Amino acid sequence: MNREMWIKKALEEGFESFEIYQDVEEEKKYTWYKGALDTFVTSHVTGTALRGIYGGRLANYATEDSGDGQMEKVISLMKEQAQAVTSEDQVFIREPKDSEEYKDTHCFEIPAADEVKTLLSDIEKMILSYDERVISVNEVEWEEIVSKREIVNSKGLSVKDKSRIHVVIAECAVMENEEVKDSFDYKAVEKISDFDKEAFVKKICDKALKKLGASSLKSGNYPVIIDRDAMSDLLGAFSYLFSGDLISKGISPLRDKLGKEIFSGKITVVDDPRCPESYQTDNYDDEGCPTYKKEVVKDGVFALALQNSKTAAKMGTESTGNGFKAGYASAVGVSPMNCYIVPGEKSLEELMAEMGEGLVVDDVAGLHAGIDHVTGNFSLQCAGYLVEGGKRTKSVSLITMAGNFLDMMKKVKEVGSDLEWGLSNVTAPSILFTEVAIAGE
Amino acid sequence: MPLISDLVDSIGRAEKEVSVQLKEVEYENAHPVKIDFETVSLKDKADLLMRATKAAQEADDRIIKVQANLLNVKEKVQISSSEGKLIGDTRVRTRIAVSAFSCEGDNMQSGSDAPGAGMGLEYYEEMTPEEVGREAAREAIVNLSAKDCPSGKMPVIIDNGFGGVIFHEACGHALEATGVAKNASVFAGKLGERIANTCVSAVDDGTIPGAWGSQNIDDEGNFQQRRELIKDGILSTYMIDRLNGRRMGMESTGSGRRQSYQYEPTSRMSNTFILPGDTPFEELFEGIERGLYAKKMGGGSVNPQTGEFNFAVNEGYLIIDGKIAYPVKGAALIGNGRDILMNITKVSDNLSRRQGMCGSISGSIPTDVGQPAILVSSITVGGTANE
Repeated sequence: MNREMWIKKALEEGFESFEIYQDVEEEKKYTWYKGALDTFVTSHVTGTALRGIYGGRLANYATEDSGDGQMEKVISLMKEQAQAVTSEDQVFIREPKDSEEYKDTHCFEIPAADEVKTLLSDIEKMILSYDERVISVNEVEWEEIVSKREIVNSKGLSVKDKSRIHVVIAECAVMENEEVKDSFDYKAVEKISDFDKEAFVKKICDKALKKLGASSLKSGNYPVIIDRDAMSDLLGAFSYLFSGDLISKGISPLRDKLGKEIFSGKITVVDDPRCPESYQTDNYDDEGCPTYKKEVVKDGVFALALQNSKTAAKMGTESTGNGFKAGYASAVGVSPMNCYIVPGEKSLEELMAEMGEGLVVDDVAGLHAGIDHVTGNFSLQCAGYLVEGGKRTKSVSLITMAGNFLDMMKKVKEVGSDLEWGLSNVTAPSILFTEVAIAGE
Repeated sequence: MPLISDLVDSIGRAEKEVSVQLKEVEYENAHPVKIDFETVSLKDKADLLMRATKAAQEADDRIIKVQANLLNVKEKVQISSSEGKLIGDTRVRTRIAVSAFSCEGDNMQSGSDAPGAGMGLEYYEEMTPEEVGREAAREAIVNLSAKDCPSGKMPVIIDNGFGGVIFHEACGHALEATGVAKNASVFAGKLGERIANTCVSAVDDGTIPGAWGSQNIDDEGNFQQRRELIKDGILSTYMIDRLNGRRMGMESTGSGRRQSYQYEPTSRMSNTFILPGDTPFEELFEGIERGLYAKKMGGGSVNPQTGEFNFAVNEGYLIIDGKIAYPVKGAALIGNGRDILMNITKVSDNLSRRQGMCGSISGSIPTDVGQPAILVSSITVGGTANE
């Protein structure tokens, strides 16, 4: 694609400004099953997204076929699209803005295919021989993902980002007395020879085995610790709360809460797209706006809403560099990038000792369905274990926890110290709550 | 090509003489389109959204905001295989999604509706945008007066249409060969056995003309079929793709689907629903002292290995002494697929289907869920009001 030619043509056709966003995703995926390579998928996709402002209205166009032969047709389609838009919202193609670039410190070493196959084979064997109650390894997988992004526009902006990540995933099933339980985990692997397979296998198998013999619980309000994995999933599902898009539209539970106390004073939430511990860092958002570290919630007070250029203009403020898309073909939305709850001092064991009697939730399911975005109410299937005398006792499954996220985050007794960065870009430590509504029998 | 050399590198080189002659398979399109969206102006398409939005806004003074989306997709696929098969399909679908937001004092609620079909824009002649807008507004208004939902085990009436998501999640996924072939499903090895109450018969039918989850052929080039999954409570077939079929020693049922070329096809659902029974709807309520009427379901998920599922109730009512008492909010239903199918004790006669996007390892694909209203004798309801 001759990008200069496209931009020049668009301006000649009457566009006030024009942007070309290109995204290259290269993926290699191996799955292993019963001692053999089960599937192998390799893909290489270049997505091109065009945005242009014509008569003050924004047109979007996305394609995988960005040959120059398409140019005239595409630009004229975009013109027609802009003319059909009736929204009065102010729209933007950004001016370049200077920013010092952060260099990713992670170093992923590209393995040979045989090295990957040996790793997967070893993990499968180790899981199967871990305990006689292990009945199957449904999934052992290796993925290599490289993404490159480049944005140029008619205002002279030209930025690029590149990232690489390698991940191993495994899932195992265990059975005792006809009851089946499972567990899965994934881990970023910088160098296969340094990877601790034993620890990875132990975590997956122990988690599944401990779920055996679980029973439900009597409905009621319990003191609850939501552990690191479950709390990270939950915060991820509720991170939409900080979106300036929903706030500017007036349909967020935080619509009139800027500057007010929304969570317990023990909670501080940071969004840092350049966080060195995270496996995904971005110097720019998908509009080319430089990213930076900021406190979204400070000591329980809602300090800053995340914004892209358009939502910022609606709220009379500046973009926070959170104008990200869900994929190259999507419109620019608002999303957190490396968002976390600042950890406290106590380990999970110390939190359990402090709670004495109560429940630890270590698994939540149905997050895409069990949340009402307008009210912040949720009711979610979860599982975990009881704590008696500060120690883990019986496993619990088929229960729900329900409530309102804002109310729950006011009932924080203690924030744990065990924050960890995995593959998700939203994460949290274990948190002890004074009470959560649990439904079971 | 680097991709081919990657492949050789990963699976090893086999020395073989290869000769393939492709022969195109021709067939009659079972899902013809009358109004191709590509021939309709942007303004006319935007008008559909305007009509839906206006209807929702005018439904009640308390509706403060309305969002509407129109989706039109045309997907052309062609499959050629080393067995000499060459076959193609053009799939067209359309969907309108409306969300309405209601407000009374500090209380803000929402409602939504998102019907669609494997049709062109002629779909909106039968399903008018006004109807969709009014439905979203109705739900948003009902939820303004909803009270916290009680918790615990109770009988639940799950209404028709999107209520079928219970069968989709709790049973459908566990009948996909993807899990069954690896013994990773609660229903593996259960063909010919009773897995549901005798009043339950269910199908997965990818051939319904113009339905959201229909196709002429699956993504492996096999013709779509009507699969009788459960007959009078007995498991009669799984949904099978080619690879897993080979593993299981069974034929493909034409169930190999994928979101796009970027995914590998695997066994997936199409239009999956419980068949109508003969109990009139009103009779489902008889004899229930305290229970839940789940009128409109949200989404859900299932773990096919353990059979554990959850799903959200977007519009629900408490039943007291056989009558609807008041609307409740914040409820989820959880359970195990094995138990719930056995606990379906009454099936009414008002079958309807609704549209959804189903996510799994081969990506996100359009599927219909459906059922007549059913009574589940006991299910765990997760709410916030601990009584």
